[in-house]
Amino acid sequence: MTASIDAHRPSLVGSSVRRVNDPRLLTGSGRFVDDISLPGTLHAFILRSTVAHGRLISFESGESPADIVLGPDDIAAATEPLPFVWIAPDQQHLHLPMGDTTVRYVGQPLGITVARTRAEAEDAAELVEMTIDQFPGVADSLAALEADAPLLYPDHGSNLAVDFHIGDDPDVLEAAMAAAPIIVSRRLRIPRIAPIPLETRGVLADWNVGTETLTVWMSTQTPHHVRDQLAHVLRLRIDQVRIISGDVGGGFGAKEHLYPDEVMVCLASIRLGVPVKWVEDRNEHFTATCHARDAVHDARLAMTQDGVFLAIHTKVTGNLGAHFSNVGTGPFRVSGLMLPGPYRVVNAGAKISGVFTNTTPTGAYRGFGMQEAAWVRERLVDEAARELGVDPLELRLRNVISSEELPHLTPTFQEYDSGDYARSLTMVRDRVRAHVPIVDPNPRIRRGIGFATHVEFTGLGPSVMQEIVGFRLGGYETAVVRMEPDGSVFVSSGVMGMGQGIETTLAQLAADCLGVGMDRVSVHLGDTAQAPYSAAGSIASRSMTVGGGAVVTAANTLREKILRIAAHRLEASAQDLVITEGRVCIKGDSSVGISLEELAEYSWLGWKLPEGETPDLEVKFVHDPSNISYPYATHAAAVAVDLDTGQVQIERYWVAHDSGVVVNPRIVDGQIAGGVAQGLGIALFEKVLYEENGQPNSTTFLDYLIPLASDVPDIVMDHFETPAPHIPGGMKGVGEGGTIVAPVAIGNAIAAAVPEIAGLILETPLSPGRLWELLRIGGLINE
Amino acid sequence: MRPGAFRYVSAISLDEVLQNLSEFGDESTLLAGGQSLIPLMNLRLARPEVLIDLNRIPGLAGIDIVGDELRIGAMTRAVDVVTNSTVAGSLPALSRATAFIGHPQIRNRTTIGGNISHADPSSELPGVLAALEGSVTLRSIRGERIVGWNDFIVSTFTNSREPDEMVVDVRFPLRTGWTFAYDEVAPRHGDYPLAGICAGVQIVDGVVREMRIVAVGVSDRPVVLSEVAQASVGRELDETLIKELSKIGREELHANGDAHASSEYRKWLIGTLITRILGNFALESR
Repeated sequence: MTASIDAHRPSLVGSSVRRVNDPRLLTGSGRFVDDISLPGTLHAFILRSTVAHGRLISFESGESPADIVLGPDDIAAATEPLPFVWIAPDQQHLHLPMGDTTVRYVGQPLGITVARTRAEAEDAAELVEMTIDQFPGVADSLAALEADAPLLYPDHGSNLAVDFHIGDDPDVLEAAMAAAPIIVSRRLRIPRIAPIPLETRGVLADWNVGTETLTVWMSTQTPHHVRDQLAHVLRLRIDQVRIISGDVGGGFGAKEHLYPDEVMVCLASIRLGVPVKWVEDRNEHFTATCHARDAVHDARLAMTQDGVFLAIHTKVTGNLGAHFSNVGTGPFRVSGLMLPGPYRVVNAGAKISGVFTNTTPTGAYRGFGMQEAAWVRERLVDEAARELGVDPLELRLRNVISSEELPHLTPTFQEYDSGDYARSLTMVRDRVRAHVPIVDPNPRIRRGIGFATHVEFTGLGPSVMQEIVGFRLGGYETAVVRMEPDGSVFVSSGVMGMGQGIETTLAQLAADCLGVGMDRVSVHLGDTAQAPYSAAGSIASRSMTVGGGAVVTAANTLREKILRIAAHRLEASAQDLVITEGRVCIKGDSSVGISLEELAEYSWLGWKLPEGETPDLEVKFVHDPSNISYPYATHAAAVAVDLDTGQVQIERYWVAHDSGVVVNPRIVDGQIAGGVAQGLGIALFEKVLYEENGQPNSTTFLDYLIPLASDVPDIVMDHFETPAPHIPGGMKGVGEGGTIVAPVAIGNAIAAAVPEIAGLILETPLSPGRLWELLRIGGLINE
Repeated sequence: MRPGAFRYVSAISLDEVLQNLSEFGDESTLLAGGQSLIPLMNLRLARPEVLIDLNRIPGLAGIDIVGDELRIGAMTRAVDVVTNSTVAGSLPALSRATAFIGHPQIRNRTTIGGNISHADPSSELPGVLAALEGSVTLRSIRGERIVGWNDFIVSTFTNSREPDEMVVDVRFPLRTGWTFAYDEVAPRHGDYPLAGICAGVQIVDGVVREMRIVAVGVSDRPVVLSEVAQASVGRELDETLIKELSKIGREELHANGDAHASSEYRKWLIGTLITRILGNFALESR
């Protein structure tokens, strides 16, 4: 892996500081939910439906030796329904009922048993007698829309949950399409994906009978959001609930809300008055935790004879699963919003249809609709190039929005902020040109290079915009930065660490602003009793842009106060002072100065302060950004396709990337590499399979394959930095880009390697078995 | 998931195992490397009353050439087969096939006896045993018997061991004048193969005298491709013959299809693997 950075700064921002948590995590001292033990903890097992569709007609705990068994009626009586946060236009279901006796997917939680050990809780669960009256089920979204499909919600009258347009008015769009000389039109599919964090979900709930407070250790990306939901569902005051999210072993979107099974564990603790622990096992995870993607796109790209793009449109049939998830149609909608990508188009829009099926609900996953948009758009662009007989990269350069055109408002109401999209394309092109292709004597091994480019929506977001789109979460972040009486720096934020290294990068920002070393800064996240309120938490690549922006402003404000106090002490003007290596000094004369330790000690005493200055060295700043921030990237993959086995080898991979100011290049490299690995999984391996009636077929790692370390190629990365003009610090989000572009870069590479089947590459994963079928259709399999 | 309750016997001698097997029979299960059994127990798909742990018994592991056989003790770990110089020198196809089993952590635990006994139709080793016409040694308090692979491996996860018997070693014949090889296609290295081939050939004066060829991962047990073998006898192993044999293999095979690979794809892969393995034999014999 190689990396290059345009600008070199003599500061912590921009340097590859080692991650502060790594020594602890790498030496086995991490504290994940399952590592936490309280005296007297009991263990829970969640009873789930093994039937895809039906009605639970009896739930008998019988002779079960459990400490407690709660069934749907107990749960429904003790709780309020769980409200969803992202509501689509005309969405009729606004919350999820707890203890629903209508079963709509395999894995749906129906009850809970609690015993001394997990094994005993499972023994107890075997004695619970559940009778389910089984109905026909349907798993596929298109099948669910057919006239004779079984209905999940008969009162609703159809499995079509919601249906709406975004972007240009449909009539305007159709007129543009009708007038266009060339239209490239394809049906593309993005499979259902399971998020697969290394740490599954887990809860340790501890109800204190005396204080009537509930403390919950939970593996979550959104501690405050979960707290608010949990208090509401359990009919508690918010101050009675404390969420502590310690080390989190990955979230990828799946841990962005409260799940009904987590409520059941908390309810059991309240009933029993003792701590109750539940850790989702991997087998459960495959059906109990939200899936993602699962969309069919009927997409069109309109252009002139010269390959100038005019309009882009997609009709999304999105599989919601058994009920709306917390974000509902959100990912399908974002697919439409980001469909135009970095290209200049006159018209753009999407029709979004959300469909109920007897499958696990689909929710947030790294890329959130944008991986789907990239697959659709960048495949259409390659197909357009093929139809026109032009080089796909040149066609992209012809249509990409130039840096002079930024800021640029798309027909889907995205105001792209800053950057040079063409530069990412030419940078990768030049890297690829320097690549010496492998010459293989075997004519049955084909090689090809594919490109893909994108602009990404990160750093959700202005609260006012979230109001407009019906996303009921504030879009701001708050930072508390405090210099303690010993001169050390305490930083607290509502964003969450889940392995992405945010504890390190927030410390770098604060240390730089305050002129101290990394060893003087500690970052505190994840405990709602301590962290400032964060409505949205760590989702949507927002921790560094929105949360980091808050830290930059808070730390700079604190710096100004420190300089005012020092100016008073040193009888100098604040403008003439600098903070360097833990001392405030006169610019150009470091012999005159005061250490931060001394300054902080006296400040907190309230001594030697300028008139009107308060003694505290603490600043709290709420950062509600004025816009989304828009990073962008171009990826290229070089693949070898074995026509005799259908196997694909990724031999080389390039990324040119601009995510604004890079705080820590090593962490950014890691985010991109991890994202590419997940995208590679989508391209080649991953698909959650269901039988037509809703029985899941992917419930272990034997059936659901994810990339291994040896499957991930070396990645050549080039970063360049166009600061986000509206974010303090200039950062843009970097959490998701790798996953968004990689699948289609690989798909385009396979199409380039085997042009005979280029038009058939419409769906992932391009597993050996699937690719072989395409090769056969393409006439490349001759007996 | 956690296993249901079971009685755990940590045996310290083979006699103790055989006594327990005699007493508990069908209600007992032997724990060797645990790489298949433990997940099945966690999922409660396997629910033994008595679990007899073989891991503390001395003398059950070992690799020796005895006469014209390579004998591998039941508790020999896969990693020890992969790295063993006797195996590498006498039967390199077995080293290679064993290296395809899972990942290093899995090979550190997996045992040869456990792997063969589990009779997973996608596993490499039963295919190698079948190609070589090997056998297993079964022992009980009633005595000892040697059972050929064809009688031992019945179908998916089913062997012909009596409830009171234990596999004590696995016997791979060393065929003088033969060359054996193993190859497979898997979605990722370490996965169960979508299809695999173990083949052996005896070439005299450039002409095939005899061939054994077995497919794995395509049916409920290893499949002997006898038509391919027969068609090769007395012929020169050249490009024309290899092409012909590959075609016969594809036609002869009745392959299962599933979510990862259709029957047609598996048949194609078998043809590809035949071409590759026999192509290497042809190169080596020149």
